[in-house]
Amino acid sequence: MRQDKLLAPLTPVRRRPGRGVSPALRGERSILRGIGVTLLWMVVAISIAALVWMVAQAFRDTRAILDDPWGVPTSLDFGNFVRAWTVGDFAVATWNSLLTTVVSSVLTVAIAAPCSYYLSRVDNKLTQGLSLYFILGLGIPAQVILIPLFVMLNKVYLTDSIMGLNLVYIGVSMPFTVFLLTAFFRSLPLEMEEAAALDGTTAFGTFWRITLPLAKGGILTAFILQVISHWNETLLALTLLQSTEKYTLPVALISFVQQQTYSGADWGGLFAGLVIVVLPMLIIYVWLGRRLTEGLTLGMGK
Amino acid sequence: MTLHLTEPRTDGTPAQSAESRKPVPRTSRRGSRPGGSSIDVQRKKLLIPFVGPAFVLYTVLFIVPALGAVWISLHKWAGSGPMKFVGLDNYGRIFRDQLFLSSFGNTLLLLFVVGTAIFVLAFALTLVLRDMAGKKIARNVIFFPHLINALVFGVLAGFIFNPGGMVNSLLAPLGVTDPPKWLAQDNIFPLIMVTLVCTTTGYFTTILMAGVDRIPPYYYEDCALAGASAFQRLRYVILPLTWDVFGTCAVLWTISSVKIFEIVWVFGGSSGAGVPPTQSWTAAVYTYVNAFSGQSTPAYGAATASAVLSLALISVLVVLLRRAMRRDAVEF
Repeated sequence: MRQDKLLAPLTPVRRRPGRGVSPALRGERSILRGIGVTLLWMVVAISIAALVWMVAQAFRDTRAILDDPWGVPTSLDFGNFVRAWTVGDFAVATWNSLLTTVVSSVLTVAIAAPCSYYLSRVDNKLTQGLSLYFILGLGIPAQVILIPLFVMLNKVYLTDSIMGLNLVYIGVSMPFTVFLLTAFFRSLPLEMEEAAALDGTTAFGTFWRITLPLAKGGILTAFILQVISHWNETLLALTLLQSTEKYTLPVALISFVQQQTYSGADWGGLFAGLVIVVLPMLIIYVWLGRRLTEGLTLGMGK
Repeated sequence: MTLHLTEPRTDGTPAQSAESRKPVPRTSRRGSRPGGSSIDVQRKKLLIPFVGPAFVLYTVLFIVPALGAVWISLHKWAGSGPMKFVGLDNYGRIFRDQLFLSSFGNTLLLLFVVGTAIFVLAFALTLVLRDMAGKKIARNVIFFPHLINALVFGVLAGFIFNPGGMVNSLLAPLGVTDPPKWLAQDNIFPLIMVTLVCTTTGYFTTILMAGVDRIPPYYYEDCALAGASAFQRLRYVILPLTWDVFGTCAVLWTISSVKIFEIVWVFGGSSGAGVPPTQSWTAAVYTYVNAFSGQSTPAYGAATASAVLSLALISVLVVLLRRAMRRDAVEF
């Protein structure tokens, strides 16, 4: 009914012409909207404040934090970081996390890119089936593979090993990375590859010398997305790693939290630990933010 | 894909060009066979080196364990020693286990209640953000929590909601002398739900906005010309044109909500023996505790049965969602 009204040529409703912009593009000035905008900016302000607050607390000692959680640090005191770094095993954990994240992300992309290229360029029953097979993994939650993976890796002595964790991360990241990169390769124009092929470049050559350089952006996006998810991954690391010197950051953080039950809360150290977990993500986000949001929304709609 | 040689190749030097002006047969250079040009034939040979590694790693480290989970869930097994085949017994057992039912119930609460809240809020935010000044800044800020490990929120909540913590110190001047015990075992889960809504909405807002931004502006102009109200514009333009994005978001949330583990694991800071109170368990926590907590004999069968049920839940919901969301694609 309403639709008829919308579609039928109505008696022209006169609107005051906007200043340059069509009326449709100017927001309505309703109260509801005003409230919404205000609330939104409040959320934005609180989010930024919370982040700044968290970093600030990391520079204060536990007693000062508990006495006055709203306070600001009086001096730049790295004591918490030093303590977290030395006592809380965060030094080893940071190194492990860094190593795992970089190695597994590089390998994930290096292995997924050729596969995605093949799936995007060859179109037959087999590749359609393979694409589906890879997408299947997107829907399997980590807790399903947790126990069998532990049993399997235990048999080949790859539990409690950074190498084993790397392997697991690569395998688990395949569905998403292949999915993302296939969509990306499909969006690239074919003309350059065809031209190269005419000039006698081999199939591998067109991939290596034409498509890869063209796809730098998409590959970097896929890499950064993997860095983020591997840096934050908790459940698999918690299951597969047992000794302190193998812990990655999230596992170290959990063990640090649990130690406090017995040794009294060391909020200063804990805040330092949180900052160590969050800060790299913030740096990446500020540096490559647009690429990230685009990557995460790529192929969502179409 | 075929290569079209519509024009004969002309090379730079004039001496050659005379020769090459003769029509070049299409099969000249590499003798392409029927059914595809040479590059296609060549490319097909790359199947093993290109797809092979990804296929093997994915199969061995993902698909085989997933199938293994189904296999283990049919057995009674403590992780070592003999496996005893018990058929579907484990499923029957966990359905009689009060703890599993409450954990699974919590997962459903996250999935549906938190999901609904997130979607309503995200859509409202999208509408507000659509033509707001400074929308990029706002959007970038609310997206950021998605990149932070949920552990961080769990730990922070422990600090903020402490009996002597920040929330209570904020409430005190407002005359709340007897604030609720935020971190009491029964209150933790609702608090987790609220935290999740706060930290996840931004991500879905970003995705929905990408959908809304695709709508060409002349549609809105059309609406204005036709005198459509804001609600009509929402109902007949924005919603139908972003419907597919909604579907994608719903699938994404279904998958990610069933995985939720780390925030529950540390929520409220420290929780006694390292295992969160049972009232706040999710299906993922149930799986982990039953297999790895070290508190009792590991029950791998029951643990994987719970995980397999989560997978079944996801599969059913994704199929239903796809069916429910299937509409004629609106081309624009």
